[in-house]
Amino acid sequence: MLERLEDEDVDAKILAGGQSLMPMLSLRVARPEALIDLRKLSSLDYIREDNGKIAIGTMTSKSAAEDSDLIRTKQPLFHAATQRIGHRQIRNQGTVGGSFAHADPAAEYPAVALALDMEMTVVSANGHRVIPAADFFVTFLTTDIDSTEILTEVRMPKLPAACGWSFQELSRRDGDFALAGAAVTMSIESGKCANARVVAFGINATAVRLQSAEQAVNGEQPGEAIFALAGSKAAEAVDEPLSDVHASAAYRRHLVQVMVSRGLAEAAMRAGGKH
Amino acid sequence: MAIEIPKSLDELPTTSPRFVGKDVKRIEDPKLVTGRTEFIDNLVLPEMLHCAVLRSPHPHAHVVNIDTSAAEQLPGVVAVLTGADVKRWANPVTTAPEGWGSYCMAVDKTRFVGEPVAAVAADSRYIAEDACELIDLEYELLPVVVDPRVAMEADSPCLFEEQQGNVMLHRTFNWDDVDEVFEEAEHVFTEKFRWNRVGANPTETFGCVCQWDVLEHSLTCHGAYQTPGFMALGRAGSLNLPSNKVNVISYPQGGGFGGKGGPRGTDIAALLSRKAGGRPVKYIEDRMEYLLAGGGQSWDRYYEASVAVQVNGTVTGFKVKLLDDQGAGAEGYGTISVAKPLAAFTGCYRIQAARYELDVVATNRAPSYPYRGYGPPPHNLVLESMMDIAARGLGLDAAEIRRRNYIQPEEFPYTIPSGNEYDSGNYEAALDKVMEMADYHGLREEQAAAREQGRLVGIGLVNTIEPGVFDWNAYASVGVQGVGVPEGVRVGIDILGQVTVRVGFNLQGQGQYTLAAQLLADYFGVEMESVRVVYADTDNAPPHFGPGGSRLGVAMTGAILGACRKIEEKFCQVAAVLMQVEPGQIELMDGHLRVKGTPEAQMPIAQVAGTMLARGDLLPPGLEPNAETTSVWTAADRTEPDEEGRCKSYLTAANACHLVLVEIDRDTGKTEILKYFIADDCGTRLNPATVEGMIQGGVAQGVGAALLEEYVYNEDGQPLVSTFMDYLIPTIHEVPMTEKAALVTPSPFTPLGAKGCGEGAIHATPAAVMCAINDALAPLGVRANETPGSPNRLWKLIQGAAAAAASATT
Amino acid sequence: MTAPHRVSVTVNGKTYEREVEPRMTLADFLRQELRLTGTHVGCEHGVCGACTILKDGSAVRACLMLAVQADGTSLTTIESLADGDRLHPIQQAFIEEHGLQCGFCTPGFLMTTLELLRNNPDPSDEEIKDALGGNLCRCTGYQSIIQSVRLAAGKMREGNAGASQQSA
Repeated sequence: MLERLEDEDVDAKILAGGQSLMPMLSLRVARPEALIDLRKLSSLDYIREDNGKIAIGTMTSKSAAEDSDLIRTKQPLFHAATQRIGHRQIRNQGTVGGSFAHADPAAEYPAVALALDMEMTVVSANGHRVIPAADFFVTFLTTDIDSTEILTEVRMPKLPAACGWSFQELSRRDGDFALAGAAVTMSIESGKCANARVVAFGINATAVRLQSAEQAVNGEQPGEAIFALAGSKAAEAVDEPLSDVHASAAYRRHLVQVMVSRGLAEAAMRAGGKH
Repeated sequence: MAIEIPKSLDELPTTSPRFVGKDVKRIEDPKLVTGRTEFIDNLVLPEMLHCAVLRSPHPHAHVVNIDTSAAEQLPGVVAVLTGADVKRWANPVTTAPEGWGSYCMAVDKTRFVGEPVAAVAADSRYIAEDACELIDLEYELLPVVVDPRVAMEADSPCLFEEQQGNVMLHRTFNWDDVDEVFEEAEHVFTEKFRWNRVGANPTETFGCVCQWDVLEHSLTCHGAYQTPGFMALGRAGSLNLPSNKVNVISYPQGGGFGGKGGPRGTDIAALLSRKAGGRPVKYIEDRMEYLLAGGGQSWDRYYEASVAVQVNGTVTGFKVKLLDDQGAGAEGYGTISVAKPLAAFTGCYRIQAARYELDVVATNRAPSYPYRGYGPPPHNLVLESMMDIAARGLGLDAAEIRRRNYIQPEEFPYTIPSGNEYDSGNYEAALDKVMEMADYHGLREEQAAAREQGRLVGIGLVNTIEPGVFDWNAYASVGVQGVGVPEGVRVGIDILGQVTVRVGFNLQGQGQYTLAAQLLADYFGVEMESVRVVYADTDNAPPHFGPGGSRLGVAMTGAILGACRKIEEKFCQVAAVLMQVEPGQIELMDGHLRVKGTPEAQMPIAQVAGTMLARGDLLPPGLEPNAETTSVWTAADRTEPDEEGRCKSYLTAANACHLVLVEIDRDTGKTEILKYFIADDCGTRLNPATVEGMIQGGVAQGVGAALLEEYVYNEDGQPLVSTFMDYLIPTIHEVPMTEKAALVTPSPFTPLGAKGCGEGAIHATPAAVMCAINDALAPLGVRANETPGSPNRLWKLIQGAAAAAASATT
Repeated sequence: MTAPHRVSVTVNGKTYEREVEPRMTLADFLRQELRLTGTHVGCEHGVCGACTILKDGSAVRACLMLAVQADGTSLTTIESLADGDRLHPIQQAFIEEHGLQCGFCTPGFLMTTLELLRNNPDPSDEEIKDALGGNLCRCTGYQSIIQSVRLAAGKMREGNAGASQQSA
């Protein structure tokens, strides 16, 4: 299979669950000559603890991730994001790996990947490499995966005991693509915010980490005003947002402020209950 | 001898109706829930080909050259249709007004993105689409016009060269002395509104299988047709066939709502069949085609409206100026939607003077088609919004201003300024009922408390008239001819007493076949299971129109009861002979013919039917041995319109009062519907469950129009909404569960006192939700005058208000 | 490019072997190849849910799968619910509560409901809505559908209770 990928004469696309690819085929906007169906690779269907991390094989269905007690209890941010992806029928057939490889700007998983510093393993005929999230998502529908490589595993840390989290998403209808969203983690240490990680998605070509927002809250007492300020800094920091029939660039930029401030508030509340 | 059709349930020949007026289970359902109902895509005919359509990527262009050679050579391709074929074999469709119709395919020019420019018939849809990609077209681009305000100007690019300009219609109606009324008014309020395009979007798109008979020069069309006879007549005209050589066979439809389209697809499939030597050709429109260029776009409107109001809240005058963008032609009869508001122009109110100024314009957008409501939903939004604006201006409550203006129960039948007559109603009762259900005063207190917290909570309280049982005369102002819409059925009782009714329309979801069975079962005292409802194609059907304009519940009932009366009369004659009494002494009751006053002397219907068909020797002389009859119903007393368009058109006026509570998230602009109450009066409810379904379905479509659905074009005429990812149909999460109360003010003019109700809540819900949104925004001093009230739009208003407030204080 | 593939699919307990083009969707395969026309196509891009079937017991959209992806799987479609003229409790419930009008979306709703009630025999209204959020209905406005699913859940619980009483 990996050798087939290396064949440059055939324009081949990898087929995982197909939930993103199929509409493109139906609309005739994707025109691959061949599809490489990963379905029979049962070795890529797993969810397990591995060295203190949670490892998910990329052909695991999203609904398996949604139903996993391990993920729900040990990494609730990933779990919450999973629940927001489309509808159950999509999650039954769609794979965890597919969303990572497809890299849609409005997708949930890339934001979580950046928030959690996830690691993606890709395999080629020559071996394998591990790509950290910060390097993985390059731009609109583009990742660092080479045309001869297959994504096989994604790994994430377990949520630390004292850590709070929040997954925020605004869409026109439940299950629609996000107009904007945020993935946030933070802890509270000595009554102050610490280790904040703030990622926005749905805004432009990829999910984006917002360090200005993180810096605005770290070391400060949690509170509505500080979260609003952090949200504003986040909104200022993003590059020119996408504009489409559902949301103008200005509205999206404003939504960054809302999603981030709400995410920080919810993460703080969750963290606050733990120390 | 004139047939007297029962005007109420107790006039039915039954001690107590077992079925009519009850929530009976639908006879359509067992086949539907097992997936066994044959929708059109199930049909496979021998030698059948599949059609794909190549569509214009340009909004306005001359078609200069077309090269189909590569497509024709693709294995599996049997025929390719081009504009040259169409020009040779077909005509542009007739329209109202005349002269704004196109061929089914672009002949020399294309006028909107998505317009068919070529079509292929092949062994599979997959191959047909492959072949379309091999067709080469050369276009000469023309300047584009997508804004109707620009399209109206004299120097604007012209869509139909034979017409002078793009204005299909300009007309002003003046009813009573409007200028004087507005001069004398103590207050005048004016506002502008923008209603963006929405459309029917049934879950099943249009589809057909057409077969041209090359020997007989005739055509058979199987398809998802809402109005078979009308469609057949149109095809005869567009395809140059005699009107008795087009047979339309309608299939059960997966929804319709008026906007199923079909003319272009049918003509293209028919001509491909002709080109393919008479092989049947199947065309199933896909969703993208439906959204771009099917029957799916309606109501693209700019409004300016004014009300003249006295200090005590009496509204004395109502002026509406409407600019309606019909898109690239009138082929879909979207023009009717600007005329229909005449049937209920002033709503529930006693407004005496009104003006309606119309500009109906062509632009390079898709042609507009009918959609449930067919015009009044945007009009009602305007009327109800003006009532709220007047109320706010005078410091009156929304309920109070309405109460002070209602037509009163004793004033019916009531002729409104635009000429139609409302049959009956009790609007105050509906208002009181909905206010009680909702605890209106409690809600206002809730709202006040929420406002203290800075929350944007709003209440919408609106009325609607839902005109029912349409007539063509309502549309005379856009050039539609004719008065009266006949609907016929053929009812027969066989030799064993089983009842069959033949109708000219097929299923669409409104449960008419169940209603037919209810009526016949109660009339002849049989079980519903023993009534068979059979669809008859246009070759065999009685005169009919089919569903539309909230008519069939009344029209079909009238036709069926008329047939029942005729059969009853005949059976009474036969029974009289058999029981040796005078015919006048026989009555039908609970399925038996009996001697009045002597109930023991009776004969079951089956026996009479059997005798009639098997014992000709026993029949009265001259009586035809025929237990079957055709009955055609049409509304009585319809009139020809006068010079101001006034006429008695829609026969019934159902009414409703909706009350909705919403909250707008200040930060995101997203609206949540918290509570929804409806008091609905559509006269006698022949099947209450069906009526509730029509109401709730209308609510869903109304919510879609108010919050989610919108067709967007960019300034170059390119559609930006072409999939269900961007055209947002409400899901189970967005549609509120509503609390409904039924009021019954029967119609004095209709069979059993029923009123048309099929268009349902789409008349009121957009108004209810938008008025609620504006009530929520009122403390900010801004108004949402554009639909849908999307999060982006509302956020912009809220933000604008905040900015204005901030600068006011600096 | 379009060399046919052999697929072996079990549908409603019966195994079918066919040769298909790789690009044929599962929805088209069921409808056209197997003539199982109860599964309907409303949008072909995975939004309306009319084409929902069960694949190995899980609800999926047949328009978002290729027939070749179903090779070796076990599919359940609407045709399996009724036993001759004995309707499934879910079908009975939809009839009793008027949970359909035109019926085009109904097979998709019924299959999604089947998955829901197998996994969650007593769902709350919120859980019903979450499960059905991916199925569009243009006719009913959903209220009677929620009532139908509630009734169906009750009927199935009763039926299971009866069955376990019988075997006890």
